[in-house]
Amino acid sequence: MDARLQVTDSSGRRLVTLDKPVFLIGRRTAADLQLVNADVSREHAEITNDGMRYLLRDRGSRYGTFVNGEQITERPLEHGDRIRLGRTDAIELVFMTDGSSSTHISGLRDIGSDADLRQMAAILNGLRALGSGRVLEEVLTLVLDSALDVTKAERGFIMLARPDGELEFKTARGRGRITLPGTSFTTSAKIPREVFQTGESRIVGDLMEGNLAGMHDGTIAIGIRHVLCVPLNVNPMATEQNIKPHIIGVLYLDGRERTTILSQQTRSSLEAFATQAALAIESARLYAESAEKARIERDLLVAAQIQQALLPTGSFETSFVDLAASSVPCRTVGGDFFDYLDLGARGFGFGLGDVAGKGAPAALLAAAVQSNFIAQAPVSGDPADTLTRVNNALLRRAIEARFATMFHGVVDVDGNLSYCNGGQEPPLVLARNDGISWLEEGGPVLGLLPGATYAFDRVKLEPGDLVVICSDGVTEARNAAGEEFGRERLIEAMAGCHGTKPDSALERLFGAVRKFSQGTPQGDDITGLVLRYRGRPN
Amino acid sequence: MQIDQKMSGDITVVHISGDITLNQGGDVLLKDKIQSLLQQGAKKIVLDLGGVAYVDSAGLGQLVQIHATTKNQGGALRLANTTKKLKDLLVVTKLVTVFDSYESEKEAVASFN
Repeated sequence: MDARLQVTDSSGRRLVTLDKPVFLIGRRTAADLQLVNADVSREHAEITNDGMRYLLRDRGSRYGTFVNGEQITERPLEHGDRIRLGRTDAIELVFMTDGSSSTHISGLRDIGSDADLRQMAAILNGLRALGSGRVLEEVLTLVLDSALDVTKAERGFIMLARPDGELEFKTARGRGRITLPGTSFTTSAKIPREVFQTGESRIVGDLMEGNLAGMHDGTIAIGIRHVLCVPLNVNPMATEQNIKPHIIGVLYLDGRERTTILSQQTRSSLEAFATQAALAIESARLYAESAEKARIERDLLVAAQIQQALLPTGSFETSFVDLAASSVPCRTVGGDFFDYLDLGARGFGFGLGDVAGKGAPAALLAAAVQSNFIAQAPVSGDPADTLTRVNNALLRRAIEARFATMFHGVVDVDGNLSYCNGGQEPPLVLARNDGISWLEEGGPVLGLLPGATYAFDRVKLEPGDLVVICSDGVTEARNAAGEEFGRERLIEAMAGCHGTKPDSALERLFGAVRKFSQGTPQGDDITGLVLRYRGRPN
Repeated sequence: MQIDQKMSGDITVVHISGDITLNQGGDVLLKDKIQSLLQQGAKKIVLDLGGVAYVDSAGLGQLVQIHATTKNQGGALRLANTTKKLKDLLVVTKLVTVFDSYESEKEAVASFN
C-alpha cells in the first residue's frame, strides 16, 4: 500500500510520496519533508511504514503533533487524516493512501462511517431509553463530535428552534473535540433555515458553484465551501403515518475540504443518526424542563405553606363577635388575604384584601399589605387613618401598576361598626328580615395614588347581624356559560342567614359559588369573611 | 389585544380592542404604547376603550399608571367610550375621579380644544 501526504502551505499545495520506511518531517534541511515555520521543530515528527500500516510519531516536538485536532504521540494513520504541526493551521498535511480516489476504497470508507454512525445511534438510543438526566449540553456535544468524526467536516453546529421559531446556536464544535468559542458563527443563514422549514437535508458541494456565492458571502469569506445540513426530526415516521413532522432544529456541518461530507451515503446515514440525536436532545431538554418545573413547583408549595401560615385561623370569637374566614387561591399561591386583631378599647379590628394580579408576585405583595395593615391598625385613630397609612407605606415601595384593594372595619362592644373601604367590592350587612346594606364609604385602591384621601363611616350593628366581605373572586366567579355570580346571587345565598353562626353562613356562600360555577376553573382567588355581632356580653 | 392609533390635529387617538389583562399581556402592551407616544412628544392622548370587553385588576392598575405617567410628563390622557363594566369597576375601586371620561371619542377630542 503506497501512501502520500498532501501538503498545503504558503507555497501552495503538493503531493509528497511516503517512499521510505522512516519518513522525517521537520525544519532541518535533511528532513524528508522540510517545512519552514516557527511552530515546526527541527525534527518534528516521523511516519514509519512497516508494510502493514503507517504510523505517525511525534519526535518530542516543541509545539506538538495533532491528528484531526487531537494531540498525539503515536497514531496509526488512516486515509483522510489531517495532520497539524504546532499551533497554527498555516501548514496542513492530509494523509492519503493510494487509490483513495477509486470508488472502491471510498465506498469501503463509507461503510465504515455507516457502522460508526449506527453505533452512535445505538448509544444515543440507549441514552434516551434510560430517560436519563444527561444534561442537554452533554448530549449536543456527543452528537456533534460523532458527526464530525465520521464526516471529517471541520466544524459542526447544532441549532435548535426557539419558541418563536427562530433557530439559535446551541453548541459549536470543531474537529478534535474542541468547543468553538462565541455564541454566533459565520455559517450560511439560508441553508439551515431552509432545512428547518422543509425538513429536507441539504448538501451544498461548493458554495461558489451555481451562482450561490452572492447569498453566502460570509461563509465563503472564511473559506468554508462545503456544507451538509440535516434536520433534527423527532417524528421521523411522520410522512408515512401522515403525522406532522416535528423538527426541533438542524445539524449543520461544514468544511473547506471535499471530504465524505458530500457523499450521498454519508448523508443518508447521517439522517438516520440525526433522528436518534433529535430524540436524545428532545428527551434531555424535556428532562431539564421538567426538573426546572419541579423545582419551581416545590418552591411554590413552600410559598403556599408560608402564605397559609401568614393567615390567622379561619375561625375566632371574642365575647361580643365571632367570625369565620377562608381563602381558596386559584393557583398554588394567591393574592387575597384576611386578618383580624384586638384593638383594646376601640374594639375588634378585621380586614380583607385583594392584590391585583395572581400567583407568586401577588402573594408577595399581599403579604406586604397584610403586614402593613397589622402594624398600622393599632396605632391609627380610625379605619380611614389605617388605610391612609397603608396606602403611604405601599407607595414608598411602589411596584409599578401593582395595587391592592382592602376593606377594614372595627366593631366595638356595643355593635358600633366603623369602616373604610379602599376600592374593595362592597361588603354587605345582613340585618334582621334579610335587610341588606352595602359598606361603600372609603377611598381608592391602595398603593396607586399618592395623596389619596380615605373617609370612614359608622353603622350600628344589632345582635345577630352579619358582615359579609368577599374578594371579587366571589362576585366574579363564572359558570360554564361565562356568567358572573354577581351581587344578586350573593344576596340570595345569604337570605335567612341572619343570626346563624359565621362558619355556616360562609359555607352557605361558598356552597352557592361552587353550585353556580359547577367546577368551571376560576380565574381569581376566592376569599370570604363573615363576622357576627353577638351583642353586649352580660 | 389590538392597538390602533390616529391623529386628530395635535391629539393622538389610541383605539384599543380586546381585553386588557395580565394573562394576555395587554397591560404591558398598553404601557409600552403610551410610553413610546410620550417619547415622540405626544401631549394630548385620547384612549378609546369602546372595543374593550374586559379589564382585570392588572389592566386597571396600568390604566392608572399611564394616566399618571402622562400627567407627570406634562400631558393629559382622557378616556372615551368606557363600557358599563369598566365604569362599574372604576366606581367600586373609587378610581372614577382619577380619570376624565367622555361618552364618545368626538367629545373627548373636543374637550382638548
